[in-house]
Amino acid sequence: MSLWVDKYRPTSLGKLDYHKEQANQLKNLVQCGDFPHLLVYGPSGAGKKTRIMCLLRELYGPGVEKLRIEHQSITAPSKKKIEINSIASNYHLEVNASDAGNSDRVVIQELIKTVAQSQQIQWSSKRNRGDAGVSVDTVVLLTEVDRLTKDAQHALRRTMEKYMSTCRLILCCNSTSKVIGPIRSRCLAVRVPLPSTEEVCSVLNSVCRKEGLLLPGELAKRIAEKSGRNLRKALLMCEACRVQQYPFSAEQDIPDTDWEVYLKETANAIVSQQSPQRLLEVRARLYELLTHCIPPEIIIKGLVAELLSNCDGHLKAEVAQAAAHYEHRLQLGNKAIYHLEAFVAKFMAVYKKFMEDGLDAMMF
Amino acid sequence: MDEYDQMYGIEDEFEQQFADELEVMAEIDYEPPRQTKVSEFRNQKPLSFEDAIASGDLILRKHGAVGLPGSSASQQNTVPKPASPLPAAQNGSELPEYLLDSDALHSPKSKRPRQDVAKKLQFGLSDGGHDITPPSSPEDYSRSASNSVQAVPASTLDMSGLGELQTSPRRSYAAAAHVLRRPPASGDYISVTDSSGNRVYLAKKEESTMSAADSRALRNSHYSLGLLSVPIEVLMEQVAEKRHRQVVEESQRLSEMLNSHIDQEFGELDGGEPEEDQEDEDQNGTASRLWVDRFSPRHYTELLSDDFTNRCLLKWLKLWDTVVFGREKTAKKPKPPPPDNKLSFQQKDQQNSRFKTKTQITEEILEAELDQYQRPKYKVALLSGPPGLGKTTLAHIIARHAGYNVVEMNASDDRSAELFQKRIDTATQMKSVLGANEKPNCLVIDEIDGAPTAAINVLLANLNRKESREADSETAGIAALKKKKKKTQSVLLRPIICICNDLYVPALRQLRQQAFILTFPPTQPSRLVQRLAEISRCQDMKVDTGALMALCEKTDNDIRSCINTLQFLHGRGQRQLDQRLVQSMTIGQKDQNKGLFSVWQEIFQLPRVKRKRVGEDLFTGMDHGVQANTTAHRLQHILLLVSSSGEHEKLAQGLYDNFLSMKLKDPSLRGVCLALEWLGFSDILGETMMHGQNFSLMRYLPFLPAAFHLLFAATSIPRISYPNSQYEALTRTQHTKNVLVAMLAEIHPSIRSRVGVLCLSLDILGLLLEVICPKLRPVNPQLYSTREKQQLVELVDTMLSYNLTYRQDRSPEGQYMYLLEPNVEVAARFPGLPPRRQLTYQAKQMIAREIEMERMRRAEALLQARNPRRKEEEKEKNPVPHSGSLKPAARNHQQRLENIVKQTVVEIRPEVDFFGRTVVPKEKPVSTAAPGEEGPVSVELRMGKAVGNSEVWFRFNEGVSNAVRRNVYIKDLL
Repeated sequence: MSLWVDKYRPTSLGKLDYHKEQANQLKNLVQCGDFPHLLVYGPSGAGKKTRIMCLLRELYGPGVEKLRIEHQSITAPSKKKIEINSIASNYHLEVNASDAGNSDRVVIQELIKTVAQSQQIQWSSKRNRGDAGVSVDTVVLLTEVDRLTKDAQHALRRTMEKYMSTCRLILCCNSTSKVIGPIRSRCLAVRVPLPSTEEVCSVLNSVCRKEGLLLPGELAKRIAEKSGRNLRKALLMCEACRVQQYPFSAEQDIPDTDWEVYLKETANAIVSQQSPQRLLEVRARLYELLTHCIPPEIIIKGLVAELLSNCDGHLKAEVAQAAAHYEHRLQLGNKAIYHLEAFVAKFMAVYKKFMEDGLDAMMF
Repeated sequence: MDEYDQMYGIEDEFEQQFADELEVMAEIDYEPPRQTKVSEFRNQKPLSFEDAIASGDLILRKHGAVGLPGSSASQQNTVPKPASPLPAAQNGSELPEYLLDSDALHSPKSKRPRQDVAKKLQFGLSDGGHDITPPSSPEDYSRSASNSVQAVPASTLDMSGLGELQTSPRRSYAAAAHVLRRPPASGDYISVTDSSGNRVYLAKKEESTMSAADSRALRNSHYSLGLLSVPIEVLMEQVAEKRHRQVVEESQRLSEMLNSHIDQEFGELDGGEPEEDQEDEDQNGTASRLWVDRFSPRHYTELLSDDFTNRCLLKWLKLWDTVVFGREKTAKKPKPPPPDNKLSFQQKDQQNSRFKTKTQITEEILEAELDQYQRPKYKVALLSGPPGLGKTTLAHIIARHAGYNVVEMNASDDRSAELFQKRIDTATQMKSVLGANEKPNCLVIDEIDGAPTAAINVLLANLNRKESREADSETAGIAALKKKKKKTQSVLLRPIICICNDLYVPALRQLRQQAFILTFPPTQPSRLVQRLAEISRCQDMKVDTGALMALCEKTDNDIRSCINTLQFLHGRGQRQLDQRLVQSMTIGQKDQNKGLFSVWQEIFQLPRVKRKRVGEDLFTGMDHGVQANTTAHRLQHILLLVSSSGEHEKLAQGLYDNFLSMKLKDPSLRGVCLALEWLGFSDILGETMMHGQNFSLMRYLPFLPAAFHLLFAATSIPRISYPNSQYEALTRTQHTKNVLVAMLAEIHPSIRSRVGVLCLSLDILGLLLEVICPKLRPVNPQLYSTREKQQLVELVDTMLSYNLTYRQDRSPEGQYMYLLEPNVEVAARFPGLPPRRQLTYQAKQMIAREIEMERMRRAEALLQARNPRRKEEEKEKNPVPHSGSLKPAARNHQQRLENIVKQTVVEIRPEVDFFGRTVVPKEKPVSTAAPGEEGPVSVELRMGKAVGNSEVWFRFNEGVSNAVRRNVYIKDLL
């Protein structure tokens, strides 16, 4: 575990670097040995998972850190076999049900049921041993809940209530907008916001100090900004900088992920020319992005961010509206490329018209 | 004549009295006068000459049917007379009474047949031991030759192979085949002596063939009993007419044959003719037959399909002649090919020479060498093409033309593997011995594309397996003992013609490689129109060429469909056909199941103004004044086209992939936006449909292509490429995902819980690849400074914890290089970006080595952590250096000694009884005080004690030396 991200990850609520107040609240929450279902949400790299693991450790002690990978195979009613990996300790089980794709409903139904029911049997024996006043037997941690299908989420509703006595669910997702209302209302929502730039800087500094390196404040700030306050990314960038060049200099290049560079170039290509041929080229680039497992929502978001910087005035509103429209259809549909390209074409048409109008206005 | 019909059968006496006169009358009326008696006769004495009588009667009757009494009556009048005296001469004593009665009448003429017999004897002798089995194809040749000479063709007389009798008085020939100068080598015979003292021998013939002939005669004679629905005069007239036409046709054909160098077959040309003529009679009788059958081609020259294809198939089939007809030829003997040949020697020789040259020619053309069994290289011909081109007709006609008996299998038969095998065996290994089918079989497997793969495998096995078996048995010399005939029968020796519509059905893949493939080109409309015109002329329909052309276009030159449509119109009472009618018809239009490419093309191409689209009238009624290119029409047409094609998904993809490459005219990109809106809509539609199983929405899918047509259709011909972008993207995404999952699979759980596929591809991977490329000095790692070493250790640690390593790989250019394993570079790197810094080959090699070593170290540690005993040893070892440096580590044998000593210590623990008290051995020391007292157990015990005290220790290990055995751990080596 030699990446800094992994090496210097805090393991207890007390050691968390930012949002200390929230950490305190969580500590109080589990003090009595019980807690409601939790829905932890926030952008990627804000430290949701870290917080959850700290919480569990607070509850069960260091035993939760002894993790093992379990391969579960579940047979769907249609006799289809679903293989899914879960990470488990003696006290909790972590499942990413969206790995199962369309059969995630079956995973939710079968897996949680079996866990909750089998834990009931162990319950009495554990009580007899007098495990420290913890009344929750097992915790199921579901990640990427927002990527679950609606069917799976509905399957979760009843399960959450039925096995309330023996198990707790912690749901983890990026955005609650794709989690259905009934589930949101059953959970205590905990939002983990991104750390501020200063907080990121301080974390970077402390890590570098532990590594015995000297990080110029300038560079730390630049890294924090470039990473978009995503702490995981910031730490990785910092380490990459370290590999690239040690003693740090304030102006050194900060390595970037390839897909972001590629997306930027795509946006530039769209702005520089608007024609069917260019659209064809853009299509190839969009395909390239999609085949690298970049989710279409992120592509459209990145594109809009880049394109908007080239627009002004009322054009911004128009483009943003178009983006929202196509993003919505993207969610409804199945073939992302159609909708992405439709957005690009729409932007091209709007932008071209705007430019021509501007040209006409200049002429007369 | 009719009166006679009625009288016949009642008046036996009358008949007996006037037998001779009756015969003469019978010739004219084609009535078999003594039909009942003949059969009686047969029952009494199954002799060969009876056959002659029966067939003689047959001939007479047939000639009556020809209906040329005036010209041939006088000639024929002489014939019946010998018919009865011959039996009289042969065995007068056994003759039935009626012959005896009429003996006086016949006796004056009894000399003549005998002369005939004598004349024929030469021939009979030359024919040697041949039995009377009717000849196959070559026999036809002679007959048609005689036809060309004679004004009266006798092709209908084929029944029992008596065609040759035309030139000489009939009857005698059949007998001649059995009249021998010497007793035949095998079989029964009867000796006959004539008045001049010549003795001849008559060979007996089996009953079966005879009865077949007789029964035929019997059956035919029944027509005379007024069982025909059509009066006999009418029939006769028709036949005469037909005959005349046939003669003309035949002469034409002959000249054509000679011109086209396929002159060999004109004998066989009329192979199936007699039956056809009968069929024709039937047809005239029953007018309700389908025209398709009635007007189907009867001869090679009538075929409508492409000439080249026809010729190729015929040539291929002719390649089989060597093995099917000419067994002797394979043995390099100049003997005539067909064993059953009844031709004279000259004819045979001619034929033989032709055979050879033709084989050579076809060999050259088809470039197929005969294999060891003299079969062509391709044992199967595979005809393919869309329906209605005449594939089945071609196969049948050509097979018959080449002198085969066609055995057909099609989809209506059960085609499971074993049944298939059985039928193939029946068709290829056996041969019918009865009736007119005594030709070699040719198996026609129709609609083979629908057959199950198992069945086709059976066919393939038949083509191949038997050869090897044959070869094996030959080498083994087992089959060599058997008869040659037996041997050859196990190999496929008959041609097989397969017919299919779709050549590329997966089941046919194997067969395709071994078959002589003939693809049918579409029928030429001009030829089809010509034929249609002939047919309609035949049926008194008034048609013009334009109408027929329209019909052809409408049906896509499908012969069957055209003729059926014509018949349908005819049946409705339509006697006049014009273009307008054809176009307004709703029938005759084929279900337009066009290929995807043509659909795409239609979508992207505006219809030409001149061309009137068939089928548009479906929607617009009759008004042709309106130009067919209005938007509404185009829309309707595309909708129809797309909904009948049905492959919406593929269609939409093709449109998506191609529409940007069209010549787009709108500079504002409005059309493109609209098109993409439509695509997005259809995507959502499809998703809703699939997800909610709501297939009623499917009816809206064809509107996408219609919209594209209205947006992008142009007059120029579009260049369409097959849409594979989505499939490609899908496979590549899958590949990337697999790589990422493979990487995640082995990651340590504590990290695994923090990274998913998504965050790996978004955040981690790109930067991780940077992190694992530190600057390393290109020197031996032993020379690294401590900081560099530390860096290396960290690098190895990182790579291990993220389940990455380097693997040596060889590039296609032969260069060795180290690649990441799993190769996540494909997931992280994008084309067209400046290349990232890479480690050198040496560095990667070194890192790979370090990773391997670290991995081993960890595995070792894990193993030790799991094994508590070893842990103890470790613990034991640890205090040792502290206590004293005498023993740096317990030596091997000492460890074992300790164990043994420990064992002995356990051994001597005092026995304890149930209550935990020590049990004092009572008698034991007393009773076993003898030298053997200590037994095997105490030997060990003693040894333990002794060994524990001494430094030297040896243990005999039964020949296996472990003198230098020592436990060495990996960690000691690293």
